[in-house]
Amino acid sequence: MKHSLQRWSSLGVLAFGLGAAGLAQAQTQAQTAAMVGQPAPAFKLTDTAGKAVSLADFKGRHVVLEWVNPGCPYVQKHYDSGNMPATQKAARAKEVVWLAVSSTSRDAGDYKAPAELAGWLQGKGASPSATLMDDDGRVGRSYGARTTPHMYVIDPQGKLIYAGAIDSKPSSNPADIKAATNYINQALGEALAGKPVSKAVTQAYGCSIKYASGA
Amino acid sequence: MCAETCIPQSGDFALNLPSQGSLAAHAARFTQALAAVPAPPPGATMSARVDGSALVFDIAGLPAAWRQQPLRLFAEQPGVIDHAAVAQLAWQGERLQVRQPLSAQRSESPTALQLVFTSPGQAVGVALAAPLAGGWPAATAQGNPAAVPAANDITTGTTPTGTAAAAATTPPVAPVGMAPPAADAAGSTTSPMLIVTLGLAFLGGLMLNLMPCVFPVLSLKVLGLTGQGADRRHMVAGGLAYTGGVLVSFLGLAGLLLLMRAGGAELGWGFQLQSPGFVALLALLFTLIGLNLSGVFCLSGVMPDRVCNARARQPLVDHGLTGVLAVLIASPCTAPFMGAALGVALAQPPLQALSVFAALGLGMAAPYLAVSCWPGLARLLPRPGAWMEQFKMLLAFPMYATVVWLLWVLGHQVGIDGAVALLGLLLLVAFAAWVLGSRALGLRARRGLGVVAMALLGMGLAWTWPALQSPAGQIQAGPMQPSPTLGQASARWQAWSPDVVARAQAEGRPVFVDFTAAWCVTCQFNKLGALSNAGLLADLDARQVLLLRADWTRRDATITQTLTALGRSGVPVYALYGPGQAQPRLLPEILTVARVREAIASWPTSSPSP
Repeated sequence: MKHSLQRWSSLGVLAFGLGAAGLAQAQTQAQTAAMVGQPAPAFKLTDTAGKAVSLADFKGRHVVLEWVNPGCPYVQKHYDSGNMPATQKAARAKEVVWLAVSSTSRDAGDYKAPAELAGWLQGKGASPSATLMDDDGRVGRSYGARTTPHMYVIDPQGKLIYAGAIDSKPSSNPADIKAATNYINQALGEALAGKPVSKAVTQAYGCSIKYASGA
Repeated sequence: MCAETCIPQSGDFALNLPSQGSLAAHAARFTQALAAVPAPPPGATMSARVDGSALVFDIAGLPAAWRQQPLRLFAEQPGVIDHAAVAQLAWQGERLQVRQPLSAQRSESPTALQLVFTSPGQAVGVALAAPLAGGWPAATAQGNPAAVPAANDITTGTTPTGTAAAAATTPPVAPVGMAPPAADAAGSTTSPMLIVTLGLAFLGGLMLNLMPCVFPVLSLKVLGLTGQGADRRHMVAGGLAYTGGVLVSFLGLAGLLLLMRAGGAELGWGFQLQSPGFVALLALLFTLIGLNLSGVFCLSGVMPDRVCNARARQPLVDHGLTGVLAVLIASPCTAPFMGAALGVALAQPPLQALSVFAALGLGMAAPYLAVSCWPGLARLLPRPGAWMEQFKMLLAFPMYATVVWLLWVLGHQVGIDGAVALLGLLLLVAFAAWVLGSRALGLRARRGLGVVAMALLGMGLAWTWPALQSPAGQIQAGPMQPSPTLGQASARWQAWSPDVVARAQAEGRPVFVDFTAAWCVTCQFNKLGALSNAGLLADLDARQVLLLRADWTRRDATITQTLTALGRSGVPVYALYGPGQAQPRLLPEILTVARVREAIASWPTSSPSP
């Protein structure tokens, strides 16, 4: 009861701000909005440095979205092993934009404030173009992001060309990374060579994203 | 454990189990766990198709207790549906339509879908599977628009782990729950199972050689090979001809059965034995073989010289006919011993069904073919000699025993008059065979007696044949009045009908159904063995188990339908309905007291059991 009241009250506040009709639509469509082959949902978020970042800023370049939560063992698997930082570095070297996104609710136990999150990433040798705060979870929901990590690739025309896992071995064991296929390296390699992405949708694996209720 | 989020971890653990010593203390828990596994409900069917961005499942035949309930759906395969979305249920009487949104980022395209449904009132869920009718829609344009078709092919084609796993795991669940095979998907999903079935059929065929009805004839044939000398080419050709004869008759019988089923007749394997005329013919055939083995007559004496010469000139035809004969005399054995394999076979499309029967035939012909191809094997057999004559006579007795049993079957079908009429006929046939075939009789005696014998035989046939026909009304009445012997065998067994089962289930009473027939050897074996065990019957009584017997000796459409729903086409079938369980658990065809005990162990007893 309390739960649903809370849900409805926050819904009401948002509805006031955004217009009731549009929001009701967004609520039911949220899970099904982002589809591979379709335009990626637009967004505008604040990064850990307090700067506004919009997807539209990167038109003409490939963009990688990575959902991140330092409290998650699967995220730790890919950062402690250096796999994720290496993938970021390789992508940045090819002029690809890398946006890490945190959709973890402020109420959740493993929520990290912007500075804290930036510090953790830096400590792991990560080098995203920007780290974006999506505390209310609206962008995460519009992409249908379910897990950390959950990866997306957007082409220079703004079309979603990949959605799914970081690699092909859904485990929390770092030893599996060596034998796994890195889907981001593969998708970017193919897309930059002008080829279609051979594996455009995979099963994302990791910890479920602790979304803010009602967002 | 995890109120909000579950985070999987891995570790290495060691569990030491005693290699000796009993684990029976845990049996009840294993049984309990097995009983909690969702199973396909008998008679339920499902079809699946894609409609826009959702999957639509049409389900029929769910048990009554499940109807109009707010069922919940779980997909066994990941990466297909939107798991968080709530399914829309639309009940129309006993039919249910379920609409479940697809995942916007669907990564897998299984050819068949496996679901589990749960209901608030049921402790155990039901599992249903269906091939996807019409296939998956072409994927949306991905990657480089210039290479759209290629991209589509690749995306649907390279989901190896999920799809392959789905295809491999689908078949074992599929035959019962699956709707009539829909379109293209059926072929690909059933093929791994088909291979297993073919293997089973081959093994079953091999075992047929050991059956009491086949072994005597075949062993003589194999022994004949050792005496045949060393012409290898002829031996191989003979083996192949025999194989051909076996295959042709199996395929012929199966084709006939499929045709009759297509014509709407409710038949299962063993259908031949439900016809009194066929049983009488078999009894005649076995008597003749027995008399021949006993040395009452020899074939060359009966056959006109011309036919005998033809046989000698055309040994291949002879070998082929032996194959046909072997199948014919094996038929009382195939029915009771191969219920499971043939049940699966008959549920398949005709081509696959026929290939199963072909595998059965190959298995049956294999030993003889092997001996004829590798004479080395034949050398392992005992040397032919005078002992063979005695051996032949010994083998006559299983033949006579088979006749006794066939007469008992016929007695159930048409009563005592018909059985005695057949006995009279057998007597006349034996007389005629002796007169015409014995080498000891002089020519004049043979001529005189031959006329008498033929006249008697003709009269006997005219008189007895009508008595061997089962009146149509009696077949209709079959299910209502179980044959006296099967019914009175024990007062605790009641006649089976679907209504009785449904009533008992409504009362929460467990039910044990014995699907049986007088002509089924395994059934009789179980009836005299496990099912007569006083301790076991006491256990069943203590749990208030309702014991029902479904008699399939005569044709019975209701029983045939129920067997089909259980995935079988022959008897014996032993179905256990636990208290409050909608779907039965099937026990093995060869019953043991221990297996039944174990199956009912977890059920509550009404009185404190010792």
